[in-house]
Amino acid sequence: MGRRELRLLESRRLLTLLLAGVFLWSLSSVDWKGPLIHTGGVGAFWNFLSSLFPPDLSPGFLRLALTASWQTLAYAVAGITLAVLIGFPLGVVASGSVPGSPRTGLGLAVAVRFILAAMRSIHELVWAVLFVAAFGLSSLTVILALALPYAGILGRIYSELFSQVPEEPLRSLRASGASPLRVLLYGRLPMALPDLLGYTFYRLECAIRSAAIMSFVGIRGLGFEIQLSLNDLLFGQVWTLLLFMVGMVVVVDLWSTRVRRSLVS
Amino acid sequence: MNFASLNGSHLIAADSISKSYGRVQALAPLSITIGQGERVALAGPSGSGKTTLLYLLAGVIQPDSGDLLLGGQDLTRQKPGKEKAGMVGLIHQQYDLVPHLSVLHNVLAGRLGQWSLFRSLISLVWPQDRHVAEAALAQMGIADKIHERTSHLSGGEQQRVAMARLMLQGSRVILADEPVSSLDPARAEDLLEILTALAGDSGKTLIASIHAPHLMRKHFSRVIGLREGRIEFDIPSEEVTDQVLEKLYNLDQSEPFVWGGGN
Amino acid sequence: MTFARASLYAFVVLAVVSWGYILLATDSGASDVVSVKTWSNAGNFVRQLSGVDSPARPAYLEADRWLATGRLALNTLAMSVLAIVLTGLAVLPTFLPGARNISNGALGGAPSRSGAFLYHAVRLAFTLTRAVPELVWAMVIIFFLSPGILPGAVALAVHNYGVVGRLSAEVVENLEPGPARALRAAGASNLQMLLYSMFPQALPHFLTYLLYRWEVIIRTTVVVGFVSAGGLGREFRLSLSFFHYTDLALLIMWYLILVVAVDLLSAWLRRVVTRGR
Repeated sequence: MGRRELRLLESRRLLTLLLAGVFLWSLSSVDWKGPLIHTGGVGAFWNFLSSLFPPDLSPGFLRLALTASWQTLAYAVAGITLAVLIGFPLGVVASGSVPGSPRTGLGLAVAVRFILAAMRSIHELVWAVLFVAAFGLSSLTVILALALPYAGILGRIYSELFSQVPEEPLRSLRASGASPLRVLLYGRLPMALPDLLGYTFYRLECAIRSAAIMSFVGIRGLGFEIQLSLNDLLFGQVWTLLLFMVGMVVVVDLWSTRVRRSLVS
Repeated sequence: MNFASLNGSHLIAADSISKSYGRVQALAPLSITIGQGERVALAGPSGSGKTTLLYLLAGVIQPDSGDLLLGGQDLTRQKPGKEKAGMVGLIHQQYDLVPHLSVLHNVLAGRLGQWSLFRSLISLVWPQDRHVAEAALAQMGIADKIHERTSHLSGGEQQRVAMARLMLQGSRVILADEPVSSLDPARAEDLLEILTALAGDSGKTLIASIHAPHLMRKHFSRVIGLREGRIEFDIPSEEVTDQVLEKLYNLDQSEPFVWGGGN
Repeated sequence: MTFARASLYAFVVLAVVSWGYILLATDSGASDVVSVKTWSNAGNFVRQLSGVDSPARPAYLEADRWLATGRLALNTLAMSVLAIVLTGLAVLPTFLPGARNISNGALGGAPSRSGAFLYHAVRLAFTLTRAVPELVWAMVIIFFLSPGILPGAVALAVHNYGVVGRLSAEVVENLEPGPARALRAAGASNLQMLLYSMFPQALPHFLTYLLYRWEVIIRTTVVVGFVSAGGLGREFRLSLSFFHYTDLALLIMWYLILVVAVDLLSAWLRRVVTRGR
């Protein structure tokens, strides 16, 4: 066994041991002294599970669930569209294709990348809490809070997709003297479009979940209704709402898969 | 030919086996028998059915018609498993090793048919039968690569790993599909030495598809020539002349021909 | 008209209707965007965060406040670590049956009733768990488990189980069948074949996904803490309720430190995983 192999083996074992140690530390951070399970927690658990068969399917409640689902969807769609509006131009700049000298292009790209990273380092609900404290509660505030981190992610992915485009077809464009921005809009964009759309649709699915939890700051929707039903211990209602949530997500997921497939062929 | 006329010394007995892929007939109904310990070379141009025949003998694919017996057992009815693995081992051009595993574990995988699930699991952490693997790799000349990740090895080295695995598998028949086609003459010679030694030491049967006449004559006792899915000839290797092969590959004297230059 | 183009049009319609609903049927505060009061309120908020107007020293300049909240940050980090480990432990034994090419016997095993059943059961579990946001799981789990970092970690693990599980099963579905078939030909049983070919090939991808999710998890841990009362999340809520805005600023600083730290750690570990293995 060569010395190189020995070192690699040792480092792998050491790393595994280190990670195991970190896991044990995280376990120790749990307050094991107190009761882990609520008094009555076990009962509540079985009660919750059994309420799935059947969930609350009364027509009045189903109507409520449908309305709540629509509200959540509207917030999600609004948020995503705003995110694209903000994220797309930022992504273009971040890929370095801004008109002007190459140096300003690169400098701007670095600055914008930093901004995008900052936008997506904070969770949408945290943004929402801050914005509501600053601007007061309104649907636009919440939609902006949702759009910011999503724009950060979309912008970054867009710029990566732009740069992953094959270089060959772009050479003739560049040879004809087109500016970097033109090259991007007429060359990179059409080639990257399937991936751009595919990823954006995937983010729509995530946006539905994010829109649902905005109920925490007071927005209506699925999250809001789930909170209400939970507070009243009406687990059957909770399950109905969860199923609507799952349904929406599945539909959007299937839709986005089909869109991607249709784009590839 | 029917099976009643065969005696028990034939390890492999094929009666009128055929195989087609869609409209293409890869193998017309053919029959052969091969005995224990024989060293057979398969010759023929690409598309002649060599690979199909090897895969049929390995039990990887099933014949469309006919019977195939291996050691008296009906091969068509056997599912892949310990028994079959004990009978036939195949090396083909895509070595099909697990790229992420180390060479050691890929070689030891030959033992999976003999190990219990528990032992296979343990072996991933504490390699079992390690010395056997080391010996096999030493025989292949790549003992120093034992801990390397398999995907880091060159094609030729990976081929030797596949052969080492075959050694641990311990099958009675070794089938090799174009083992030396992509190697230069010196390495080809080397590999066949190892392969025939592998077979010869333990009385195993070896069947390999080979192009070069001198390699056929040197390492094999019998040559079967295939063309368009049919057996053109089945003769002892001493009788294989350049003319015989040229006729098989359908070339006249004036055309240049490169031996061992791929499929 | 391709499906993609039709979808694009449908989406545009959906977007218009959604925005219409938002602007007309909800309290959109659209008029507030142009009102001076809103912006002065916002400016006020920023001043309160920075603490320039208050006589007391802002919390983020006090060393003991840093230490006190630092302990909470460590708890939050622990919650995130616990969450990914739980996710990993749950996914590892269950993702293989969720791959279509394993359950339908394409790799040489016989397609069986139990294989198909397992496949659908596992896939259903993935779909259910990942479709529900972590915060909602936390709201439910807090009914069974006492507040702390454990319910938060479990909630995060439940959601990410579906995410990582589905991704890992898809990796297996895209693997080359060659090595697995060769092992079967060498005499391996189904389980041995899974262990020696599918697992080693899927493991690096699985670990990479897990590490990517850690970056998402650390951002979500604070949010889950709102409900599960663990780590920084609880303090966040309290500081808001009591209008201790400089404390809030301090918590946000710790939050950002955690996010950056985990992003760097995750990137490093991902390099190790793809290099060494």
